[in-house]
Amino acid sequence: MAKIEFKNVGHCYDVSAENKVYALNPFSLTWEDGGRYALLGPSGCGKTTMLNIMSGLITPSDGNVYFDENDITNVITEERNIAQVFQFPVIYNTMTVFDNLAFPLRCRKFDEDKIKTKVHEVAELLNLTEFLNKLTKKLTADQKQLISLGRGLVREDVAAVLMDEPLTVIDPDLKFKLRRKLKEINAKYKTTLIYVTHDQNEAMTFADNIIVMNEGNVVQIGTPKELFEKPKTTFVGYFIGSPAMNIYPCDAVSDDEVSIGGLKLKVNTKLPDSQKSNLKLGIRSEYINVVNKKSENTVEANINLVEDFGNYKLISATNENIQIKVKVKRESVIPEDKILLEIPPEYCCIYNNEELVE
Amino acid sequence: MKLVTKNLTFKPEDEYYLNDVSLEFEAGRLYTILGRTLSGKTSFLKTIAGLQPVDEGEITLDEKDFRSIPVWERNVAMVYQQFINYPHLNVYENIAFPLKQRKMSAADIKQEVAVAISQVGLEGFEARKIQELSGGQQQRVALARSLAKKAKILLLDEPLVNLDYKLREELRYVFKNLFDSDLSTESILIYASTDPQEAMQLNGDIVVIDEGRVLQTGPAKEVFENPLNIKVAEITNDPAMNILPGIIDDKEIIFNEDFKLNLPSHLSHLDSGKYFFGVRATDLNLDDSGFSFTVDISEISGSETFLHIHQDELKVVLMIEEVRNFNLDDQVKISMDMNRLYVFDANGDLIFSPYRGN
Amino acid sequence: MKTLYTTLKYSAVTLWSMFVIAPFLWAISTSFKDFNSVTSGVSYIPWLQFEPSFEGWKVLIKPASEGGINIVEPYFNSIFVTLTSSLISIILGTLAAYALSRFTFKAGFVKNSDITFFFISQRIMPPIVLSIPFFLMLGYLSLLDTLMGLVMVYIVLLMPIAVWIMVDFFNKVPREIDETALIDGCNPYQAFYKVVLPNSIPGLIVAGMFCIIFGWIDFFFAFILTFTEVQLLPVAIVALNSSITPWWSLSAAALVSVAPLIVVAFIVERYLSKGNLSGAIK
Repeated sequence: MAKIEFKNVGHCYDVSAENKVYALNPFSLTWEDGGRYALLGPSGCGKTTMLNIMSGLITPSDGNVYFDENDITNVITEERNIAQVFQFPVIYNTMTVFDNLAFPLRCRKFDEDKIKTKVHEVAELLNLTEFLNKLTKKLTADQKQLISLGRGLVREDVAAVLMDEPLTVIDPDLKFKLRRKLKEINAKYKTTLIYVTHDQNEAMTFADNIIVMNEGNVVQIGTPKELFEKPKTTFVGYFIGSPAMNIYPCDAVSDDEVSIGGLKLKVNTKLPDSQKSNLKLGIRSEYINVVNKKSENTVEANINLVEDFGNYKLISATNENIQIKVKVKRESVIPEDKILLEIPPEYCCIYNNEELVE
Repeated sequence: MKLVTKNLTFKPEDEYYLNDVSLEFEAGRLYTILGRTLSGKTSFLKTIAGLQPVDEGEITLDEKDFRSIPVWERNVAMVYQQFINYPHLNVYENIAFPLKQRKMSAADIKQEVAVAISQVGLEGFEARKIQELSGGQQQRVALARSLAKKAKILLLDEPLVNLDYKLREELRYVFKNLFDSDLSTESILIYASTDPQEAMQLNGDIVVIDEGRVLQTGPAKEVFENPLNIKVAEITNDPAMNILPGIIDDKEIIFNEDFKLNLPSHLSHLDSGKYFFGVRATDLNLDDSGFSFTVDISEISGSETFLHIHQDELKVVLMIEEVRNFNLDDQVKISMDMNRLYVFDANGDLIFSPYRGN
Repeated sequence: MKTLYTTLKYSAVTLWSMFVIAPFLWAISTSFKDFNSVTSGVSYIPWLQFEPSFEGWKVLIKPASEGGINIVEPYFNSIFVTLTSSLISIILGTLAAYALSRFTFKAGFVKNSDITFFFISQRIMPPIVLSIPFFLMLGYLSLLDTLMGLVMVYIVLLMPIAVWIMVDFFNKVPREIDETALIDGCNPYQAFYKVVLPNSIPGLIVAGMFCIIFGWIDFFFAFILTFTEVQLLPVAIVALNSSITPWWSLSAAALVSVAPLIVVAFIVERYLSKGNLSGAIK
């Protein structure tokens, strides 16, 4: 258990190159002890680089890493007290389940009795007790991944458990059970858990704090609710939420009104000077309401497509040049071709040069 | 054109990969094979392609024996989960490969490849080597190659599952547009998936498969609204439909001591006895006048919260349409929408569906 | 601390390089000596320490009647036998390796891995075990002391190497690539040579290289299976020996026989390092 700090940490794989290309741009961040974090972003955004810097597999070209005030930037992985779980089960084929789980403890020369207790504890938690004496060769992919996970959890003194998309190979219904187990472990042992993924569902359901990354930059850090309701950049609005946020370029018509094409909408944000800004309006499909009466912020649109997703329906509608996606309950009555939509000002986000105007 | 499989069975080493699979496929339609991992989807697709033998059964295309035709004469196309392209060829050559094999003229090949490339949106990439492309681009090349062939049967084995979450959403629209276009009127499209929401979005005919056995077939809406048994109800919903064992006694549905409901009038014709009751997560609500349950875990996903709760032995998931935090062991009260209750008999077969009645 | 470590690293590498190159340098300088220079003490640098002479090199071209060995014919014999047997070994071995990689064979308890091991085990046997059988077989077929006889024997010796290396390479090419080729209209043969083979070129090169090397340097079978009509290079060089060991011509002969292998190594290394090894699936 430790507080982990990144101070101006950044990484460039080829420091000698003319134009240094940073896989991870320098940034600072504190990871609180016992927290549940997710690193979320598309492929190539730098999240795996960040994870590898934390575990010591990469020494950052810029900045320093601290564990509880100790500068461990140059400390090698074995001495860092980090457990890492990878996307694919990493298990030792020739050993039994018990030996696999015991391995990290045996390497550190723990007492056999202590090892036995700990292994049983973790096996119990992951429902692996009946498999303890079996050879790992005969197990299914998700059981193997559980062992991988278990191996990361046997050590009580780890500063953090780093997981790189560990549930990819697992069946959807088992995924939920595992996420729950991880949360229980976090609650019980107060181990810091850091979870890397490109799947926003996984990130949102698992973490208290999500670090959204894109192209080597940390774009926003926040709780799932904050990321959803107030995305700080248009990228976060696009990346979080299914479907992505509806985003439209617009112009400021007055202090609190914008115009998208010819459509005028009132907003709750104080708008910056129209001359020097590049404005966009973002509104999530969940917050748009289907209404019967025209009022201030209503838009009439033609329905192009209604998709049934089982849990909800998604309406794609167009008004002249703008396309709007609206999420509605599956049982709602949806008109044939024209629909009246209300865009509530309190849920509109205004972006200036892709950044949120508060 | 009609593809028919009769009693396909494949049982290597005492485990059923395919168990008496009898299905019919017609041209111009999209079929989604929906099932969990290892349920037999890939086995089925490979059998249609000719890559996997069967122990018993027949396959006919337009009433002519299809099973005895070797793979290379079958005129099918297949897109795999892992992005499979010929590594030693560039994008153009990859797409042209099957056409060259067919001995088409160079001019014809050029035209067909150009059409396929524009369908998947890879204009300008013709000379690139496969290794230089991202995952999504590689999968699009695989798709373009399948389209260029103008095969009679197009098989897709979870083609989007290895892609970034957002990319998956975007490519799904590419697929759908291709399927809806005229080009597919003469082909049979078979798409395998584990994701019920994906199956719903594709909106074709769904074939629900589990442990090698076909459980139900029908249009997506029909299978979703009227699952023929509990297994289908679980597979076609995410989160899985809540299945609660209960007893009908006199005028009540009894789940346990603390959880009893009045038998609604539309179910009054059912005899007393043991049943299974199904209700979706979206059809349960927080209700202060409802029944008391204890919270196990709450998961936030975008704009919704999935709450996993239990009461003694009963475990239930419900979906709340807002973001709320709950703690372990919190007490909540819930009620269910009685108009959306499914009734299954003691064997698990559907007796009553809220969409269809008996 | 770091500089000491670096210095040690470089010194170790330099020492080792010298250790490796020294024999070559020694052989080069010896090949230019004559009897007197060789016996008159340690000397390495020509002109400074001894008078260079071309005696060693001339001996290689003089025919036997003049006290030399005519190395030209054995040289070309070796090239012919090595290349032919390597080529056939690679062709047959690659086909066998493909079958072992893709198809499942079962004869009772014998599986693919057993058959592969059977091939590899041919190399584990001490060559002397095969000497009598081969001698008798070639004699029966009247192929003793002929190039064809040697080629046949070398194929038996070199094919296991090809199988060994290629099975591994083929296992690394995903089966799905074969399947896609079949679906795209190739029959299994076409799938093999149009798709799998182009992606295994590094393997072919490595296998080729090993076959050529092992074929070229073989002395044992060249010695017992040939007498007068046909002579291979290793045997010809040994024939140079007489009561006075002719270090100068031996050195020259050694250099001459190693030269083609160095050329092969250079060509292969340049090709391999071009990055043609990639071709992986994500």
